[in-house]
Amino acid sequence: MAEVNRLKIGPKEGVNYPIQVTYCGNCTMPIEYCEYYPDYDKCKQWLEKHLPTEFEKVKIGDNETPTGEEEKKRQKRGGKGIIKTKKKEEGPKQVCVSRAPRGKKKSVTVVTGLSTFDIDLKVAAKFFGQRFACGSSVTGDDEIVIQGDVKDDLFDVIPDKWPEIDEDLIEDLGDQKR
Amino acid sequence: MFKKFDEKESISGVLQLKSSVQKSIRSKILDSYPHLENYLDVILPKKDAFKIVKCHDHIEILINSAGEQQFFRQREGQWMPTLKLLHKYPFFLPMQQVDKGAIRFVLSGANIMCPGLTSPGAQMTEVQKDTIVAIMAEGKDHALAIGKTTLSTEDIAKINKGIGVENCHYLNDGLWQMKPVK
Ligand SMILES: [Zn+2]
Repeated sequence: MAEVNRLKIGPKEGVNYPIQVTYCGNCTMPIEYCEYYPDYDKCKQWLEKHLPTEFEKVKIGDNETPTGEEEKKRQKRGGKGIIKTKKKEEGPKQVCVSRAPRGKKKSVTVVTGLSTFDIDLKVAAKFFGQRFACGSSVTGDDEIVIQGDVKDDLFDVIPDKWPEIDEDLIEDLGDQKR
Repeated sequence: MFKKFDEKESISGVLQLKSSVQKSIRSKILDSYPHLENYLDVILPKKDAFKIVKCHDHIEILINSAGEQQFFRQREGQWMPTLKLLHKYPFFLPMQQVDKGAIRFVLSGANIMCPGLTSPGAQMTEVQKDTIVAIMAEGKDHALAIGKTTLSTEDIAKINKGIGVENCHYLNDGLWQMKPVK
């Protein structure tokens, strides 16, 4: 009967609304749904850091092996039931650099893809400006334009500054028209 | 509804509402969800300036002055709460509970199939066809989706085949991920 009451419509006595639901910092869902997120490991890391008591509960729950019945249920259903991770993480992690003409003699360097590594673009633009002693600004969703032709230097400078970006992950798009 | 929704591409404009329109939306919402009676003044304060975000596919999202998404609808249909709002006030929609095995399908945006609502882990509360419902899950406290019944619950139990509830909004879809609108 308790289950029936659970679904009863209308405010519950003794409950103060609004209810504050705890959302996961990784998958953004209520933490009870983290186990369904494809990147559950990151959720667990987040839980361990921010909600250690909840993390302990999860650890215990993980040791339960699914019952045979549950496995059977899963197989019977059609469709794939694949849950997508956040959009941001969908694309491959890669940085692209290219050169574009600016006026007749000068060039600028365009850097895209830094945000696929969760790098703050404003900080990055400032860093490039200081490093190359030239203008550098965030010009788009994931685009930085550096005033000057520094494309070749970037292959050393970027991995140096952000070790997670290997030189092989930087794609040279050559010369682009603006 | 929001499976392919992207806040950068799917929004076509933001409208400031006239107070008369605002009033009529409030009364429509109250008609649909009478249990909100004592709470609507907090959710949509009378003096607050709401806006409507117009999106592709005839979707409209009602936001409060802080830019938080509160309700949405498609093609002038019934206003439905966002999951973030429903989590705060989980009592005003009839609830339907799916079994554990259905959770990952619902979270991938699939419609809710009748067997997922009739198996031992599931539980239904009686409603008619075309009712806006909260999708709960076996062993979980919070709603994971908001849907609209395509059959009455009586028929869902009787027919027990095919789609029973259309999945309109689920955790981590485009609406869930939408940031407050400024
Ligand atoms: Zn999570």
